[in-house]
Amino acid sequence: MDCIFFVGTSGYSYTEWMEAGFYPDGTTSGRMLPLYAQIFSVTELNYTWYQMPRAEAVERQRRLVPPSFLFAAKLTRTLTHEIAPDHWKEEAARYREGVSPLIQSGQLAAVLIQLPPSFTRTSEHRKHLAGLIAELHGLPLAIEFRHRSWVSERVFGELAKRQVTLVGVDGPDLPELFPALDVITNSDLIYIRFHGRNAKGWRSGKMSQQFDYTYSDEELAGWIEQRIIPMAKKAKKGIVFFNNHVRAQAPENARRMIRLLKEQGLTAA
Amino acid sequence: MRERFIIHLNVADFPVAVERAVDVRLRGNPVIIAPEGALRAVVYDMSEEAYQSGVRKGMPLRRALRRCPKAVVLPPHPARYEQAMVDFLKHALPYSPLVEVADCQGHLFIDATGIGRLFGPPPDLAWRIRKNVRAQMGFDPIWSVAPNKLVAKAATRIVKPVGEYIVGSGEEEDFLKPLPVHLVPGIESDDLKFFYDFNLTLAGEVARLSMDQLSVLFGSRSQHLHDAVRGIDTSPVLPFPHGKPVITVDYSFGDDTNDVRKVEAVLFTLVEQTGMKLRRKGMTAGRLRVFIDYSDGGQASRQTVMDVPTSNDFNLFASAKFILNKAWKRRIRIRCLRLAADRLAYPAPLQQTLFGKTERNRKDNLISAIDAVRNRFGRSALQVGRVLAA
Repeated sequence: MDCIFFVGTSGYSYTEWMEAGFYPDGTTSGRMLPLYAQIFSVTELNYTWYQMPRAEAVERQRRLVPPSFLFAAKLTRTLTHEIAPDHWKEEAARYREGVSPLIQSGQLAAVLIQLPPSFTRTSEHRKHLAGLIAELHGLPLAIEFRHRSWVSERVFGELAKRQVTLVGVDGPDLPELFPALDVITNSDLIYIRFHGRNAKGWRSGKMSQQFDYTYSDEELAGWIEQRIIPMAKKAKKGIVFFNNHVRAQAPENARRMIRLLKEQGLTAA
Repeated sequence: MRERFIIHLNVADFPVAVERAVDVRLRGNPVIIAPEGALRAVVYDMSEEAYQSGVRKGMPLRRALRRCPKAVVLPPHPARYEQAMVDFLKHALPYSPLVEVADCQGHLFIDATGIGRLFGPPPDLAWRIRKNVRAQMGFDPIWSVAPNKLVAKAATRIVKPVGEYIVGSGEEEDFLKPLPVHLVPGIESDDLKFFYDFNLTLAGEVARLSMDQLSVLFGSRSQHLHDAVRGIDTSPVLPFPHGKPVITVDYSFGDDTNDVRKVEAVLFTLVEQTGMKLRRKGMTAGRLRVFIDYSDGGQASRQTVMDVPTSNDFNLFASAKFILNKAWKRRIRIRCLRLAADRLAYPAPLQQTLFGKTERNRKDNLISAIDAVRNRFGRSALQVGRVLAA
């Protein structure tokens, strides 16, 4: 199986990336995406976590990029972090409607269900997750756990049965965090997120410390050899995102990742 | 101009939200806030549920209760709301030097331009402030992020009573286009009348009019309206404490009254207090405002610009009395009287007359003498007859 990799960053609208030289000085946030799309082939939409996506805004955004450009969209917090027991199903329907322009154009690579560290493996949480997956059926789902309790063959088996991707994560080595794994639960898509390994800043509550990290070539090459190459043999498409956005370290690392993947003979779009 | 990121936090029905934080039993039930014990009290504020039943601000309480019989009626607690506002503000102050308390209670603007490196992207900051407010104060502000105050305010209006909205730079006009024109901040009821006469109900429809067309109808207001419906607003977020200095004094009557002599006596006392404060600062006031709170919760106010800025009690009182008469149009008893003096300035040097004394000199000298006596023997040492007579 020849796996094609798409590499990008988690979010693209950071004014401090201007100071770091990634965007030219004076770039307004509305002009960032077209510039970003000249360099990368995929991005992860962050704002959909804060705010329910709206079809017309998503459509406007889609028109700013070439048709081959892909989007992964985070699932809104009202479905993952601040769940309203009585109307989350309506929220799920609204979400599906919001991202529909990307589905129609074939540019939705994945919907990222990012779960908070407090979302541990309890029967209540398992029930919500199963319900959520059923409610979002048909969308290309990927789940990022942030608690170790979900490391279980049974969980992976259930995800595989539903063709839901388990997100591979790289983060600081902290006791409760979900570890870096190379498990594949959906052969259509692998999804990897690099958060940076800033163990000190991780729980600071400040993004500026939590995501302040630069990956070395050795660290990235290690990931490719130990996990990405074996995974690539079993999947059709891979998306890789860098979330260490502070001082534009993410786009720099993403560019290096593309180079390293190509050096290993892998296909990167 | 540099691209700006303005966060707007808006607590819908702020007084109700505060009361509900104090008493959780009120949650989910319709709540009306109106003064107690007044026969013809009017609604001061109400919860979303009461609003949905047809209750509106300023509506007589009896009618409001007919429309929403299950509503819990609470008396207003202005001090409580003020304290809650101070606490609310504390959640925003650490993040930006530019935090503005808007005119309405429960509204804050935060200029989050250029603070990304310290506190993360503006939507994340807005969400975190809201999370902290919700956890610590027990109410849930709506938040928005937009390139200016006008669009940020409009954005929170469309997601009322809970929610969030992000408008990116360059999207302002597209965002406003489909909205009913009354939701655009800065458009007043007189403007709306004109718009409706011409069957213009959406902001986008008004935005199709050129400046020339607008100026036929609105004259000097046309530029403002032209910009507002396009989401153009360059007004800055004013740092807290912001605004121009103002001296405010008030008096609540023990027994509500509509006795002219009593009210005027109180007004004179308020003027004396204001004058004293002005003279201590060595400043004069350029504008006076009088606010009346009636027994039934109704309010009225009038203002006047002074011909010559002054700190002299007699001159201030002449103006204050003039606007009190203009504001006091109802026969309902008055509960509270408030006087505000602003446009404070240092007095301009005056050319003195060479011969004799003017009326002005005499009044100023009298005030100086009264001040001297009071400073030495206390405020009650000298009283003006008008105050004693009442």
